[in-house]
Amino acid sequence: MREGKDVIRETDSREVARYLGYHKVKPDPAMEEEIALCLEDLCRAAEPRAVWRRCALEQKEDGLLTVKALPEDPSSGILMETASRSLSRNLRGCSLVCLMAATLGPGPDLLVRRAQILNAGRMVIYQAAGAAMIETWCDEINEEIRREAQAAGLFCRPRFSPGYGDLPLSLQRNFMSALQMKKEIGVGLTDSLLMTPTKSVTAFIGLGQEKTACPREGCEGCSQAGSCSFARS
Amino acid sequence: MNLRDRLGKEWLFCDGGMGTILQARGLAGGELPETWNIKRPGDILDLHCAYLEAGADIFNTNTFGANALKYPDNLEEIVRAAVRLAKEARKRTHREDAFIALDIGPTGKLLEPMGDLAFEKAVALFGEVVRYGADEGADLVLIETMSDGYEAKAAVLAAKENCSLPVLVTTIYDSRGKLLTGGTVDSTVAMLEGLRVDGLGVNCGLGPEQMLPIVRRLTEVASVPIIVNPNAGLPRTENGKTLYDVGPEEFSSWMEQIASLGIHVAGGCCGTTPDHIRRTIEKVSKLPFRPPYPKKRTVVTSFSQAVEIGPKPVVIGERINPTGKKKFKEALRSRDIEYILSEGLRQEDAGAHILDVNVGLPEIDEPEIMETVVKRLQSVTALPLQIDTSDPAALERGMRLYNGKPMVNSVNGKRESIEAVMPLVAKYGGVLVGLALDEGGIPDTAEGRLKVARKIYAAAEEYGIPAEDIVIDGLAMTISSDSRSARVTLETLRRVRDELGGHTILGVSNISFGLPRREIVNAHFLTMAMTAGLSCAIINPGNEAMMQSYRAFLALQDLDENCMGYIAAYAGTAPAPDAVSARPQGAAEGQKAAAAGPMRLGESIERGMTERAAALTREGLLTKDPMTLINEELIPALDRVGQGFEKGTLFLPQLLMSAEAAKAAFEVVKEQMAGTGRKIKGRIILATVKGDIHDIGKNIVKVMLENYGYDILDLGKDVAPETIVDTAIRENIRLVGLSALMTTTVVSMEETIKLLREKKPDTLVVVGGAVMTQEYADAIGADCYAKDAMATVRYADSIFDA
Repeated sequence: MREGKDVIRETDSREVARYLGYHKVKPDPAMEEEIALCLEDLCRAAEPRAVWRRCALEQKEDGLLTVKALPEDPSSGILMETASRSLSRNLRGCSLVCLMAATLGPGPDLLVRRAQILNAGRMVIYQAAGAAMIETWCDEINEEIRREAQAAGLFCRPRFSPGYGDLPLSLQRNFMSALQMKKEIGVGLTDSLLMTPTKSVTAFIGLGQEKTACPREGCEGCSQAGSCSFARS
Repeated sequence: MNLRDRLGKEWLFCDGGMGTILQARGLAGGELPETWNIKRPGDILDLHCAYLEAGADIFNTNTFGANALKYPDNLEEIVRAAVRLAKEARKRTHREDAFIALDIGPTGKLLEPMGDLAFEKAVALFGEVVRYGADEGADLVLIETMSDGYEAKAAVLAAKENCSLPVLVTTIYDSRGKLLTGGTVDSTVAMLEGLRVDGLGVNCGLGPEQMLPIVRRLTEVASVPIIVNPNAGLPRTENGKTLYDVGPEEFSSWMEQIASLGIHVAGGCCGTTPDHIRRTIEKVSKLPFRPPYPKKRTVVTSFSQAVEIGPKPVVIGERINPTGKKKFKEALRSRDIEYILSEGLRQEDAGAHILDVNVGLPEIDEPEIMETVVKRLQSVTALPLQIDTSDPAALERGMRLYNGKPMVNSVNGKRESIEAVMPLVAKYGGVLVGLALDEGGIPDTAEGRLKVARKIYAAAEEYGIPAEDIVIDGLAMTISSDSRSARVTLETLRRVRDELGGHTILGVSNISFGLPRREIVNAHFLTMAMTAGLSCAIINPGNEAMMQSYRAFLALQDLDENCMGYIAAYAGTAPAPDAVSARPQGAAEGQKAAAAGPMRLGESIERGMTERAAALTREGLLTKDPMTLINEELIPALDRVGQGFEKGTLFLPQLLMSAEAAKAAFEVVKEQMAGTGRKIKGRIILATVKGDIHDIGKNIVKVMLENYGYDILDLGKDVAPETIVDTAIRENIRLVGLSALMTTTVVSMEETIKLLREKKPDTLVVVGGAVMTQEYADAIGADCYAKDAMATVRYADSIFDA
């Protein structure tokens, strides 16, 4: 797998512009320069880390999903149980699921806090660039998981995170303990279930025997579709 | 026997993995290992016995994750049972010589500012465990697997404040030698030695092979005994299964290599077994033992950086200080913390290595404001801080909450000062500035100042503060009242260095008080002082003449390799005497300005050029009165930008950059109008609601509202409904703006509105945030839903302008 710092350097500045609300408009050259500088600062400040784990998945008719440690794992038992129609749809036909967590570390949050004091314009650019960057990092982890799956003759489903659709945010607690996220990648959970550092993502990636047509994902699958000003055009 | 009698004097060995072995015995995922102290005591006992029989001298109680967050109901029972099992194992194996380590791991929560666990809450959580464990008979406290130095500090304080047992701390580094929070071996060692731990080192995360470079660095910088407890190799995943596959033979060979670097305690962590420990003991105990020795390094740290004093002079930024600064005093009184932070960040950008923090004003609660400023500063800068106060209570608050080993400014030769300050440095750690003055005043000869310095060194020794943690202030006094004073100061610097082998510090610019063009004298004096051995220069790094002296000195003294620092600062710059070299606020501003040619104020605001806007305002005020300038240039420009944003021809970052430029222009007007300034349209509370830590949206709204003439009471993020309502009542506020980013925290928003309706029904509420919609806003009873910052401005105008 590639070095995290090399991966995040490839963050697409067009994605940053989209998060900033540039809808079908290109930023002017001065703003493009500003975005590029902020991306550079973020690349220096970020420490991309990730952790993932393959687990057994049981699905019942009523949408109840159970994620268990694999039989050969050193620790056994149920890692999480949840009823979610959205996730069931995403994981249909899978008997394995990969749990992943990725973060850019505390550096980007520090940059945002600094800019909050010195330069509000940069504050929002760091925020948007950080969002694009963590997605880029997640794509790389996703790709690694896909490669591992492919080697075992398995196919990946699009990644699906707590908070999407009807999937409860409370599952973050299970992710924390199943992946030892604090120890492994330095990600914690507030009492209100928000991850810190804020540029962190958890997700399920279903692994199935069959290559299925991907369910609708991203902007198209979102409940806010149609009313969101950040939608991909 | 006490561990302190053996630690650092002979080889000692720790036990190995606990969690991985319990898993092998059937501990389920999600099952808390410490419950086995009660559910399956036999298994824990067996494990302890196996390690003791293998020869371990220090073995851990099964309490790694035991704290009141995980065991709210039966923590005491769990901890006491764990220590009793350890005692039983020691008896059963006839290893009464072995030491029971009360094992303390991380809380599982992240500390503020990264997470939501307050520092003192962490101290309290650890303290509880320490009390039970020490009372039940543990021999030492072993704090381990810490990936955040701040959390380690909380645990050490908890241990020291609740028992008198030896304290060992091991942290977990990644393959690049960093903690997850960014700390390094250097920063961690300095902080922990400052806290007076009995030993420190590294555990978990890596195998022995990957730990080699980290251990090597430990042996170079640590003066206390070093502990090394690696995993049985790097964890490898195979089909999703985690494996540690370095066997006892290979492990122990690596440990031989590690031990010969000069460590003092060896053991294992995840994946290691009694066999790993047995083989390690067989091999390592044959090696010659080298006791630890003092490294005599003077180091101050932040959460991630270590600044060593001595190898070359360091710059300490002096600007966070109210003395002689009207605006700063006003910021302290009105609790405008952001202004204070901005002074810090500008100095960092200008090249400071350490920031002095002085927030003393007679009429304010200094301990409270010191706590706030230190906490906020260390959330925005990685520079170490110098806590500067004459109030011992403020000093203790600052040092206690400080995330690292601070500089402390200052003690002097008076007995009263020594007795107030030195115990704090002995407890919390710090590099202490000693002023060369005492009951007899400021000696007017170098000999007199050296005498005081010697007295300070002697007192430090009594308190157990090593000489390298003292920096002597040679006292710069103005030459305008005594023409000999600079010579006395310079001689003091030289003699502290040559005769006492010590480090020195000066508030450089005092030398020219009362003279015209002070920077001419200051800059030359700085060069002379550094030549005489000055280690720390307290200066304004924003003053270009001073930084020129500093950088030129480094280049001339072979302290700037290939003149890289000098070239980076000055290549391509013109020798403009009045030029300000601070990094422009907008990166593209210089380029834009160059292309722009002559420009009107309004245009500079529309294009978000902060410095240009300020300059043009100054220029404009020469020919126009302030109100005309505001009404004819500033306000129309803001309106054009606001409308552009609303129409979608101009975007959020531009809106905010324009707002910043306008703010700079308003500041200039305010200065010129001698405080009268603009008319305030109204006062508004802004807050991100309880449970929500995302405050960017709220901050955007704040910038815009301020621009449009509102006074904002910013209550921050994660704000309780009661705080918002109480403030609204106390300050009689007409409009409250609430922000929430997650559906889960909209509930707090609803609660806040409910409480507000009940207690202060005439206050209006505007809400916003990523998940907010008009329907949602209606459902929770808000008066207005604002889809963005401009919408909030328009709503506020509709209320206050009407």
